Amino acid sequence: MRPLAALVLLLALAPGLRAQDSVIVIDPDAPLADSLERVGPPPAVVAELIAFYNDSGTTRVQGDVTIPSESRFEGRLALHRGNLRIAGQVEGPIAVANGTLHLLPGADVRGDILVIGGRLIRGAGARHQGRERVFWDAAPVAGTEEGLLEIRERRRPIGDLAAARTSFRTGKVRTTLLLATGGTYNRIEGLPIVFGPKFDLRTGQRSSLGLDLDGILRTAGSESGLADFGYSARGEFRYGRFGVAGRVYSELAAFEDHPLSPSESGWSAFLLQRDYRDYYDRRGYGGEVWAQVSRALRLELSRRRDEERTVRATDPWSLFRNSDRWRRNPLIDDGHYITTGIQLDLDTRNERYLPSTGWLIRARFEHSSSGDVAPVILPSVVRPDLPVGRRYAFDRLFFDVRRYSRITPSLRVNARLRADGWVGGDRFPVQRRVSLGGPDLLPGYDFRAFNCSPSGFDDPSMPALCDRVVSAQVEVRSRLGLNLGFRTRSANGSRRFIGIEEADLVLFSDVGKGWLAGSGPGQVPVNRIPSFDEWKVDLGIGLDAGEIGAYLAKGVSEGEPVKFLVRLQRRF
Amino acid sequence: MAGFLLALALIGLSFPRDALGQAGNSVRLEVRLTPDSAARGQRAPVIRSDNLLGDGRWLSTLRSGLPVRLHYRVEVWRSRDGWIDQLTRQLYWDVVVRHEPLLDEYTMLTIFGSRVQERRYATLDALTAALAFAYQINVSPDEAGNYYYAATLEVSTLSDTDLDELDRFLEGEANGGGGRAGLGETLERGATRFLLRLAGLPSLRLEARTRRFAVR
Repeated sequence: MRPLAALVLLLALAPGLRAQDSVIVIDPDAPLADSLERVGPPPAVVAELIAFYNDSGTTRVQGDVTIPSESRFEGRLALHRGNLRIAGQVEGPIAVANGTLHLLPGADVRGDILVIGGRLIRGAGARHQGRERVFWDAAPVAGTEEGLLEIRERRRPIGDLAAARTSFRTGKVRTTLLLATGGTYNRIEGLPIVFGPKFDLRTGQRSSLGLDLDGILRTAGSESGLADFGYSARGEFRYGRFGVAGRVYSELAAFEDHPLSPSESGWSAFLLQRDYRDYYDRRGYGGEVWAQVSRALRLELSRRRDEERTVRATDPWSLFRNSDRWRRNPLIDDGHYITTGIQLDLDTRNERYLPSTGWLIRARFEHSSSGDVAPVILPSVVRPDLPVGRRYAFDRLFFDVRRYSRITPSLRVNARLRADGWVGGDRFPVQRRVSLGGPDLLPGYDFRAFNCSPSGFDDPSMPALCDRVVSAQVEVRSRLGLNLGFRTRSANGSRRFIGIEEADLVLFSDVGKGWLAGSGPGQVPVNRIPSFDEWKVDLGIGLDAGEIGAYLAKGVSEGEPVKFLVRLQRRF
Repeated sequence: MAGFLLALALIGLSFPRDALGQAGNSVRLEVRLTPDSAARGQRAPVIRSDNLLGDGRWLSTLRSGLPVRLHYRVEVWRSRDGWIDQLTRQLYWDVVVRHEPLLDEYTMLTIFGSRVQERRYATLDALTAALAFAYQINVSPDEAGNYYYAATLEVSTLSDTDLDELDRFLEGEANGGGGRAGLGETLERGATRFLLRLAGLPSLRLEARTRRFAVR
């Protein structure tokens, strides 16, 4: 659920309010309050309706009923489900349950009218003497086998359409059972299947306890060196704006969080046999404490101990290019790592998936160490030999700052600045190293075009070897009506558009640089960033229809050809 | 390929948004100002959509079992002659309608931030009238200047995943984080949303704005 401003409905909530008062006043500055309010007709009036309908002296009808002009009805008249059209004369009270009462021209009703769950539509010249009460909200009633009415208990709104997830509550414990994919497809696991229960316990008005147990079934076989089953168990206690959590896991972790999101990378692997991420096996445990300082700001302190091991690419099936070979998965510096991190998240975006205004800032500092690292051999220009006889330790800093702005009602400008890399201690292990190039950060250049691989170093896995990367992106978006498709007319006369009706026209530019830090040849001093004339620049244009976007991008600082790419989500 | 995309862009430019939204479909979005009764000329916007169910495709969508989501947004713009206008504030809310075939009732959820109101309607007449509720948003600007309001209504279907998230929200997981928060960003989400989009299920975006008014 997207983060929304706190709004309060002032009118139309009061049960006694007439439903026909159809102006709802919203005061956005009223205090925030979480609530779910189920509004319906007053119970006393519903009871009155049921009593009226079930009275043996009442004439009960169902469906569409008409009392024609120049006819006359005397007595108590009630209708359930349908339309009661009155053009003649009625002497007596009328009740309608979940139907519409039409007083047609010439109608003459002398008696009280009660309509619940429908409208009273009065034609010109219709006359009525008596009390009139109309509630648009449905009457919570159901018909019995005897033709009477009874109160119908309201169903609980459980996600009955989500076949792979079901939830139920037992006392204070809410249980969710899940069977789903792991959200990606890759050359190590194939399609991971995630299953397991989640328990939530409300321990107080401001506190809760959660336990999330997941099993992970890997479908690609065990040739990768990865077990067929993984797991993740996470417990969390929340109190107000604070929380503490612990976790044990055996899972597949990715080196970098780009150049594609997990879902896009999964599609790319499944369809085209192109897996744009690298992975390692991570098993361990950890904990974190966090504080939600405000609605937008979250701080987190974490510590974990991982055993990190190399895994090999397998040969899962892909729809196209299935006969091609998958890119190898790089070797990593195996070992046990203890990592302490502090993270800040600031999110003032108006929407989570398609934001148009606001900030998204994520910053993280990590200190990691290991006493048993087994390093792979890297060229000395990339990394000097790792220390012997003391702990191996390094520091990492990451930040990602995004700004979304609406310049006019139809024009938006978005910008992003991202940096990731080594800031202190020994040099990074392979699995923490970084790169640039590819669909996300520098789409005008090939995947890992800038991975800091020295000349003569030929590794088919194309590992990321840079110590640091910095990139900046800016884009201008304008909404267009596309009508890219065709219209059909269904049997009931309604028109359906098949295709994409609208999209954002996107003009963008990206700049970035990845480098090795140091004082040697081809390296940049550790206290400097490269001069801007060394940065890579690209320009591009595209159409983003929300769930799919097509872009053309070209690197302008090299003789790069134009790249065509398809994204299944916003660029950033 | 560049030519192809340029052609697409030109096709798009030939269909202005407002013309598509207001004239090409029978659904209407209106935004007007409250009466000029405040001492300093402050006025609030009143937003109303009309005839949603008069466009048969939305009723057909509902009866096909797919929920329909109305996402309203109102923006407060400060008009600055000779310079680009300034967005000073925006607010949004959602109305989700779904048909419950077993009960033959329509459930209407109105979602304002973390506050949700659920109403049920047994007849199309009542639902149609409820969907035509007008919303008066008390966001009148305080600073002196010229202002106008821009309103947007996006009507779309909810995927199963969206609906599931909504149900979990209603079940009390509004602030739920934890290990499964990322599952929303899964293959299923992308695939479902994309397929829903391409399958011809309708979506609609309407825009309207008020005339300018002055705050003294």
